[in-house]
Amino acid sequence: MDKLLRSLHTLGALVMFIGQVARSAVTPPVYLGETLRMMNVLAKRCVIPVSLAVAPVGAVISLQGISIFKLFGAERMLSSFLGTAIFREYSPALASVMVAAQAGSSIAARIGTMKVRGQIDALAVMSVDPVRYVVVPGVLACVIVAPLLSVLTNLLGVFSGWVFAVPIGGIDHGAFMEHLTAQITPADLWIGLGKCSLFGLGVGLIAGYLGLNVGKGAADVGKAANDTVVSTIVLILLVDYAVSMALLGAGL
Amino acid sequence: MADPTSTPDDTPAVVLDNVSKSFGDHTVLDGVSLTIQRGSIAVMLGPSGTGKSVLLRCLVGLLQPDRGRVLVFGEDVAALDEKRAADRKRLFAIRRRFGMLFQDGALFDDMTVFDNVAFPMRLHTQLSEQAIHEKVSDRLARVGVAHAEQKFPSELSGGMRKRVAFARAIAIDPDIVLCDEPSSGLDPVMSATLDELILELHRTLGMTFIIISHDTAEARKVADTIGMLANGKLVTFGPAEQVFAENHPALEQFFTRATVGPIKVV
Repeated sequence: MDKLLRSLHTLGALVMFIGQVARSAVTPPVYLGETLRMMNVLAKRCVIPVSLAVAPVGAVISLQGISIFKLFGAERMLSSFLGTAIFREYSPALASVMVAAQAGSSIAARIGTMKVRGQIDALAVMSVDPVRYVVVPGVLACVIVAPLLSVLTNLLGVFSGWVFAVPIGGIDHGAFMEHLTAQITPADLWIGLGKCSLFGLGVGLIAGYLGLNVGKGAADVGKAANDTVVSTIVLILLVDYAVSMALLGAGL
Repeated sequence: MADPTSTPDDTPAVVLDNVSKSFGDHTVLDGVSLTIQRGSIAVMLGPSGTGKSVLLRCLVGLLQPDRGRVLVFGEDVAALDEKRAADRKRLFAIRRRFGMLFQDGALFDDMTVFDNVAFPMRLHTQLSEQAIHEKVSDRLARVGVAHAEQKFPSELSGGMRKRVAFARAIAIDPDIVLCDEPSSGLDPVMSATLDELILELHRTLGMTFIIISHDTAEARKVADTIGMLANGKLVTFGPAEQVFAENHPALEQFFTRATVGPIKVV
């Protein structure tokens, strides 16, 4: 019973926190410079891990896909599958998972450290709302940087798939490009980017909440960062599944 | 600094009226009442864990007392709830009149020393970058860390961080400067330099200082008002000469570093 009450209390606090962040994001003062700085920091931290995570996936899809598509004599259509899988599913999900791992943990650790070392109190004493100054820029940075990274991973995923399909797999380049462009619609791109923003929002909010509500010591900061990564990755995968089902159901 | 919350000169800077604060079963402040006049230097002494830092936090609304009023220039900070937007606005207006030196400095790790001190100026003043540069350099020179402008806090010693934090606390000429153990971590010479700086700022700008300290030499040097907290209670408080003359047993134990006396080692 106690556990249930505690969970409800946490949920209530999280909802209130999200409301506070939403209000702070749309009312002045908005700390634009801090948001740009966070975007820069997060993009630099994430670009290599995200690329390393998604590039092999395109290669594996081509590698495995060729042998299966060959069974039906349809290997020329491999790029249709590759493009859809990368643009709609793998690129947004993996880019977001890596954003959760890199950006989420670093935001939670940064805010947690600031809290433990009294810097959050120092901000408050200097009449700066910590949610506005520290949390909102992190959330906005995640919302903006995650889809930008996904654009990069789209290209990388398709390129690595192309390498294993065309030069290595022997599929004709013209056919690869024709099926790729015929199958991928602007909707695929926008859905992928939209999902990334949504996941980025989740990462930023959870990292901000756990960072601000950290315990008292260095170990608690580590725990907040760890909890952020685990909870946001689980959330991303669950929401990704739900969103994909809903979109397919809606014929998109 | 000019502020809409300005009040007539005769209003005390701070009045605590029967303030109590507990954490669980542990009573940290127990019915503390005191008045600190504007333009004075009040030093609050007391053993560790007796609620001195809690008292400072109550003054700026970082903690809400369980009971009592905390009047800052006549306005009750304890009645303001930071979670309510209107109250937050009032609270922030009051806080702009404070500068606070935290015990561990609480400098921002990802900013240089210069940016740390410039931070409140950029936020709360209309000064040009040129003017900010001059003022930050002046503040850092006063605390003897002018050479470290472009360093990050992690590159500084504990004492240097403390001095930078003091420079930040006085950055925008606040009406009240709260100092949580300013001399801890400083060598005796730097500690004396900081004391002299406090006296100078007090003399030239009329700043009110509320200082929490273990340093009895510092108390003797700068205080015009002295208070002593022990076991959550204010055991003595008043003009420095009077308190020294009164020679309260707790104060005497503190000054003579005696292990036997009213202050118990828990």
